[in-house]
Amino acid sequence: MRSLPITIFIILFAVIGNVVAIAMVSVEREVLREKEGAGLVIPSAIAKVAALEFKGILADIIFSRAMTYYGGKAIRGEKVLEGEWKWIYESMDVATDLDPYFLDPYYFGAMNLAWEANKVKEANALLEKASQYRDWDWTIPFYLGFNHFYFFQDNEKAAFYLMEAAKRPGSINLLPTLAARLSYQGKKTENAIIFLQEMLKKTEDKNVRWIYERRLTALKAILFLERAVAAYQDRFKKQPQNIDELLAKGIIKTIPKDPYGGNFYIDKDGTIKTTSELR
Amino acid sequence: MTAVWQVALITFKEGIKNRVIFGIFIIALLLFAATTVVITLFMRDIVKVAVDLSLSTVSFAGLLTLLFIGVNLFGKDLDKRTIYMVISRPVSRSQYLIGKFSGIVLLTFVVVAFLGILSAAPVILSKRFYYYPEARFDWWIFFIAIVYIFIKLVIVSSVITLFASFTSNSFIALVLSLVVYFIAQSTESVRFLIASQVERIEVSPILSYMVDIAYYVFPNMSAFDLKMQAAHGLKIGPDYFIWTILYAIFYIIATLAIGTLAFRRREFP
Amino acid sequence: MAIITFHGVTKVYKTGFRKKKVALKDFSLDIHEGEVFGFLGPNGAGKSTAIKILLNLIFPTAGKAEIMGRSVENKEVRRMVGYLPENPYFYDYLNPVELLIFAGKTSGMDSFKIKEKTEMLLNTVSLWNERKRPIRSYSKGMVQRVGLALALIHDPKVVILDEPMTGLDPIGRRQVIDLILKLKSEGRTIFFSSHILEDIERVCDRIGILVNGNLVRVIDIKSEQFTTSLENIFIEEVEKAGEVQQ
Repeated sequence: MRSLPITIFIILFAVIGNVVAIAMVSVEREVLREKEGAGLVIPSAIAKVAALEFKGILADIIFSRAMTYYGGKAIRGEKVLEGEWKWIYESMDVATDLDPYFLDPYYFGAMNLAWEANKVKEANALLEKASQYRDWDWTIPFYLGFNHFYFFQDNEKAAFYLMEAAKRPGSINLLPTLAARLSYQGKKTENAIIFLQEMLKKTEDKNVRWIYERRLTALKAILFLERAVAAYQDRFKKQPQNIDELLAKGIIKTIPKDPYGGNFYIDKDGTIKTTSELR
Repeated sequence: MTAVWQVALITFKEGIKNRVIFGIFIIALLLFAATTVVITLFMRDIVKVAVDLSLSTVSFAGLLTLLFIGVNLFGKDLDKRTIYMVISRPVSRSQYLIGKFSGIVLLTFVVVAFLGILSAAPVILSKRFYYYPEARFDWWIFFIAIVYIFIKLVIVSSVITLFASFTSNSFIALVLSLVVYFIAQSTESVRFLIASQVERIEVSPILSYMVDIAYYVFPNMSAFDLKMQAAHGLKIGPDYFIWTILYAIFYIIATLAIGTLAFRRREFP
Repeated sequence: MAIITFHGVTKVYKTGFRKKKVALKDFSLDIHEGEVFGFLGPNGAGKSTAIKILLNLIFPTAGKAEIMGRSVENKEVRRMVGYLPENPYFYDYLNPVELLIFAGKTSGMDSFKIKEKTEMLLNTVSLWNERKRPIRSYSKGMVQRVGLALALIHDPKVVILDEPMTGLDPIGRRQVIDLILKLKSEGRTIFFSSHILEDIERVCDRIGILVNGNLVRVIDIKSEQFTTSLENIFIEEVEKAGEVQQ
């Protein structure tokens, strides 16, 4: 059968051609997909029903798609457009609606959405959702605290989130001190005192307790002075000029000592500050 | 009863020696291998993704086993009359039906147990290389999720048995079982969706009523889907276990009882 | 003593929207212990129907059937009954040994006895060497022989065979005939259907002719003087039935 080798040759030729062709087609399809832009976001409600028992996997896929798209752009040095950021955010939103415990979209959202896209509100919206579900995870409220501190200069909110983070297991020891410092600057001295007292109860580490106790003493002193200033205003209907006035007028008997070694003074806006700045 | 056990045994043997089982195992193994590669694409929650994929593979493989082999085990009897060799012995119709069901459950157990153990491999791998401190994972919950996959598949088996008891050919039984699976996986989500939309859109009360009925008639399989709990190490209270297992038991008993009733007067001309 | 009894059994099938087919019409018959009864009739006459009613595979529309005095609906009856269906099908991936274990266990035999009889039966039907191979690798004749083994493993008093010669070559058929005679010598009752006249003539004590659901004739081979051959009787009855229909 002389035609057999020819037949085999034709088959081999066709198979090789087929493999090469499909590889090229795949590349072309990829190019087409890029030109189409980002893509479609299926609304959460529909996705949840359609995913049946595979919600977790669908969340993984949706997140992965968005992240890969973003990564591809980053590699090529292309800027991500506004519409694409919107799609990325919505993908993260749907992924976390499907699996609200999934850290990666929250993490990605917190980092990239806030820093690169300047979509801090959206990042925070995601993180709020995360905080509600990942109630064992201290890093979420920590990111929230940081975002409010850094992007919105909202120390009060920041301190609030940091305190929330400190309550959660495994949180770093720095947090309560940090929160307390922020809230001192945000005028929430009483809260900070209460907060630190709570943390003191939970802490057994001697060194950490010493740090907290020191801060507590300072804050108590500040609170004491704040109340003295309020009493002075109440009595004399005006602001005291300095701490010594309080002593002179008999509102306080002694000036409390700053455990950090500084001196307390009354700031221009009437708040109590110290030269040590609690450092 | 020895009759039920004997029928279960030959059903199991016939199922386990089916070539298709081999194919299902190969698919599952490939998926496990793919899992170990796919997880590298993710950032921090690697363990969650590994668990998602591993458990979904086990569930998927179990489903394939039931739809292609389980239904076929009935199909052979109904289409090709292999049932003669069983019913002509001192085996009653109900004994036959329960025996068949048990054999399919046994087969499912072997598949889920085998693949369940293997599914731990990608998870162990992910924990060894990519574990981050905020990840929560508990082998106990992972194990329970696998047990629940098995329970869910037993419910599907009882549905297949029910359909086999009164349909005339196995293809119809397959299609009906598949439809029930899809509905059963979505009743909870749809019901929740409708309830939550009440303030925003006008939901027809008839639709709402029908969805409620469907929720009670079809098995709520979402209740047995603990993949998310396993992926994130979320704790489950003992009440949950008690009620879901009771639900499963009652549902299976009801389904099999109805099937036995339908099968009583079934003829084999 | 009548070991198998049909009391006025009627079976009606619904074949369409309002159409029905009457497979058996007021069928009554007694089969005596130890006899070999042959069931004869054209295709579609209702032979398989009658047999399946005995096995409780289908239910009579009217009338009832009994084996050894008990209703056929009682599954215990089948401990004493061995059945070979018309076109036997068995589970593809199992081998005859597994099938025989199943058959024996469900009929209440113990493992040792099952082993013993399996070896004996498979040797008798010449399948012992192939016993570990799955049924899917068997030829039609081999499947038929497995069916015989399954029908006999539990030592049944009553053996019911539905067209046992189909698919067998002349050697195979001869073996089945010898087997039937052997079973008869053991005191068992055999009830079988066939349309191979010479086989029926050779082994049966009595023959029943079924045409269009009616039992038109029962012939006692021993006592009756044949004026014509069985073949002629058969054709005569079929033609008679045809006339009645017209």
